[in-house]
Amino acid sequence: MLGSAEVANQALTLRPTRRAGTELLGIGVSGGLLSGLLGVGGGVIMVPLLVLWGGYGQRDAHATSLGAIIPISVAGIVTYGIAGKVDWTAAAALAVGAVAGALIGAGMLARMNERTLRIVFGCFLVAVSIAMGLRA
Amino acid sequence: MTDVLVVAGLAAFGLGAGAAAGLLGVGGGILIVPFLTLAVGLSQHTAEATSLVVVLPTAVVASLELRRRGVGELGTALRFGAAGAFGAVGGALLALALPGSTLRVVFAVFLGLVGLRLVLESVRA
Repeated sequence: MLGSAEVANQALTLRPTRRAGTELLGIGVSGGLLSGLLGVGGGVIMVPLLVLWGGYGQRDAHATSLGAIIPISVAGIVTYGIAGKVDWTAAAALAVGAVAGALIGAGMLARMNERTLRIVFGCFLVAVSIAMGLRA
Repeated sequence: MTDVLVVAGLAAFGLGAGAAAGLLGVGGGILIVPFLTLAVGLSQHTAEATSLVVVLPTAVVASLELRRRGVGELGTALRFGAAGAFGAVGGALLALALPGSTLRVVFAVFLGLVGLRLVLESVRA
């Protein structure tokens, strides 16, 4: 875990801190493991792991998490054998909106101040935590 | 409600979920699954399957847009995600053998503490 000064330094880091492959591998496997175990999206776990353990800046952690979600969701689609269970009308309507939204969100991510981004993500995690606690 | 309104409502929700996903670096399933079960009335299983099909193009489009803008390293992310994919399959198999509610509470508390830490450190920094 990091102290305030290190976090403040990280906020100024624009490029990712390059880490050994084994460390990223550990984050990928444990992120995926927790995600599969608890049925939550990988990003909710991978972003904080990348920031607090991997030494990534907040923006790069978000970008890396999004990229990592691509193979993880492909694996989910393949292993669950979901072809027969998808509501394709709902999926198509949601996807049309979500793809347009993804462009807007990614644009915001590219421009937003690192510190603001970290506060927004932290609040999102607290909200997810409360929602999960209520559901459990 | 007519079908047209339902489809329009889904697309509008998708827009918001996609924007949140792109900004926060998550897939959006954490928002889409509860919406599909609670508001649309799909079963948990159908909602999760449908959500996965939406998360994939959302992550692809957001990642390509970020690469275009020079944010992050997509190649590293894809390799790291491939390791995560194996972990996810292992986790799903483990979940079948373990009591879910205890794990969920522990994890909810963990996420809450991590979230508070990120906010407090940023506010103080």
